[in-house]
Amino acid sequence: MKDLVRLRTPIKESVELALNQQIQMEMVSSSKYLAMAGWCDRNGFDYSAGFFYKQSEEERGHAMKLFHYLCDQGATAISPEVPAVAQEFDTLRSVFEGALEQEIAVTDSINRIISVCRRENDFATEELMKWYVKEQMEEEYIARRCLDLFDQIPADQIFELDKQLSKVTYDGNVFE
Amino acid sequence: MYTVSSRSTDWIEIFRTDKGVVYQCDATQRLILAFWDTYTALSARDFAQFRRMVETIDVRQMALSTDLAHDVEILTPPRSERCYVLTLCEVIHLRELLSGAQTMLELNSLLRECGCRLP
Repeated sequence: MKDLVRLRTPIKESVELALNQQIQMEMVSSSKYLAMAGWCDRNGFDYSAGFFYKQSEEERGHAMKLFHYLCDQGATAISPEVPAVAQEFDTLRSVFEGALEQEIAVTDSINRIISVCRRENDFATEELMKWYVKEQMEEEYIARRCLDLFDQIPADQIFELDKQLSKVTYDGNVFE
Repeated sequence: MYTVSSRSTDWIEIFRTDKGVVYQCDATQRLILAFWDTYTALSARDFAQFRRMVETIDVRQMALSTDLAHDVEILTPPRSERCYVLTLCEVIHLRELLSGAQTMLELNSLLRECGCRLP
């Protein structure tokens, strides 16, 4: 008797489900960052707006990477529903605090997927997810470093702060 | 979708309940859902998709709502011309049949991974 499920795809259903949930999470992140970019733009924080526009594109890229992976492996990738996200924020700081919380949630989710991969002996997907582990290390660093700048740059130098926030990068990835 | 009018001798029975049967045809690599005295042949992918469609039906709403629109659920399996108009009981029966078949398919995968092969 043929194993029709395995002939269709090497991806187990639990992994497929977890990856589709991750696609949705990345798209929600993209939507949140776009809302943050919009808020920054209309409140005169042009540099931070640029930073979040870029982040929004990146998150969408993360989702698409998983989407293509599922399709290529013969599994079913689902275009996710993206619920409404907050459009208004109290302060620039609260925007960046929201960004860090989102990145932490994504990191936790990536870690959960890897544990599912290990349970299912899905080494290919685990290998793919390692890229996301490195990526999240970088994303969390940047979000955390941005929040540090709020303490380091006086509140009355908001233009300088906006400028410096957009310059934060992570070039010390220990995995590379 | 393959049009199937009667049972073939090549089919292997995967799972059976009082209300239906799921067969596997190795020659066509299709799973055949026998439900309501009809046969619907689906690829493994379409079968999984159809099972998800049945699993995501809101049976609670069907049970509690007095709205006529919630008395039945209309489902069309992927790439199929068949249309199921299901009452709450039929949804439950179909769920039982599809999830039982899924368990058997997973068991077959597990056996293959362990180096065993069913005839």
